[in-house]
Amino acid sequence: MSFTVAVDQFEGPLDLMLHLIKEKELDLFDLDIHVLTEQYLLYLNKMEEMHLEVCSEYLVELATLIEYKSKKLLRKQEAELNDAYEEDPKDRLVRRLLEYQQFKEISEQLKQLYLDRQRQLSKPISMESEEWIKSNENQPVEGSPYELAKAMTKCLRRMQLLRPIETKYTAKEISVEDRILQITARLADLPETFSFERLLEDCREIHETIVTFLAILDMAHTHQLFFTVDDAETIWFRKGS
Amino acid sequence: MENQALTIVEGLLFIVGDEGLTLTQCAAVLDVSESEAQLILEDLQRLYADDQRGIEVVDYGGVFKFVSKAAIHPYAQKLFANAKNTALSQSALETLAIIAYKQPITRVEIEEIRGVGCDMMLRKLQARGLIKEAGRSEAPGRPILFEVTEEFMDSFKLVSLNELPELPDYTESESEDLFE
Repeated sequence: MSFTVAVDQFEGPLDLMLHLIKEKELDLFDLDIHVLTEQYLLYLNKMEEMHLEVCSEYLVELATLIEYKSKKLLRKQEAELNDAYEEDPKDRLVRRLLEYQQFKEISEQLKQLYLDRQRQLSKPISMESEEWIKSNENQPVEGSPYELAKAMTKCLRRMQLLRPIETKYTAKEISVEDRILQITARLADLPETFSFERLLEDCREIHETIVTFLAILDMAHTHQLFFTVDDAETIWFRKGS
Repeated sequence: MENQALTIVEGLLFIVGDEGLTLTQCAAVLDVSESEAQLILEDLQRLYADDQRGIEVVDYGGVFKFVSKAAIHPYAQKLFANAKNTALSQSALETLAIIAYKQPITRVEIEEIRGVGCDMMLRKLQARGLIKEAGRSEAPGRPILFEVTEEFMDSFKLVSLNELPELPDYTESESEDLFE
């Protein structure tokens, strides 16, 4: 038997197994694990002989194959206990091979789409209008401080209404600096624009609400956030630089 | 008016170049509804689909833009001796395919399907702007979830993810046959 295929031709152990199954004309739906394991092991040994580093992933799958074989030998004793709880390893392997094959095939189609797209070229945006976009971004504060104060009052009133009846009281003090850090950490998960209420989701005390408000004032000052107040007096934020 | 709108959109598409124009932007500028804007853009697409035109209007990921037609590409290659395409490796394509069909998905879930580690690959794809983080899963350890970006839609000529080619469906049908 001669091995003419190079290892980097395969995308991983599943790819190699699919290749072996095809080459040995094995039936994927009635898989002979014995033959597959033998071929697989033969291949890995050959790789080692050629002084190629066998990636750990290949060894993991080899262990799975060998585990299956050994389980088959010991089937009688343990069968009743284990099989009811575990998916049969062979079924699992076949399921994985089929799923992998699906994506392998579809990636061929995606490749064609990608190559087609590469043949269509476009122009960058006109230089002048790019300047317009930039000057827009430099506007630091969009709403006036008075509008902001009014909106904040309304927000506080809404908080009062939403406030659940709680009997437990825990004194939790947080500094504006810490709150800024907390908000900055949350920014990544927030959409491009979001409302002040969204930031208050984790606030239970009036103290926390006010600290949050002070924090966003500071962040607007340093251009980390831009704000605007809409007609319904909701404060909206846009992420800054 | 209709024709004028067509002219305006054509000019705007020229200005915005590869940044493209969304339906929302187009509707706002023309002061029409989005469905009307859609019709105008479709008219323009039809106009440029004509064989006599060397450029066309495409809609990838909901962004309309002008691109040169694929038929022009061979001549561009002749014009620029060094014309090169940035290729995507097989493993990159497989990883992208899995994310596109299963998103949002964690790294471990992708690795389970591919049978190989893909930490580096995910970082590369992220750097190329083809995938992005999309919050965290509720699973133990709160692993990061990944999904494809608008850039991905553009790179694969997709208007939306619904346009992805259908996955070959031998898993279901044939395994059912087994039990007959």
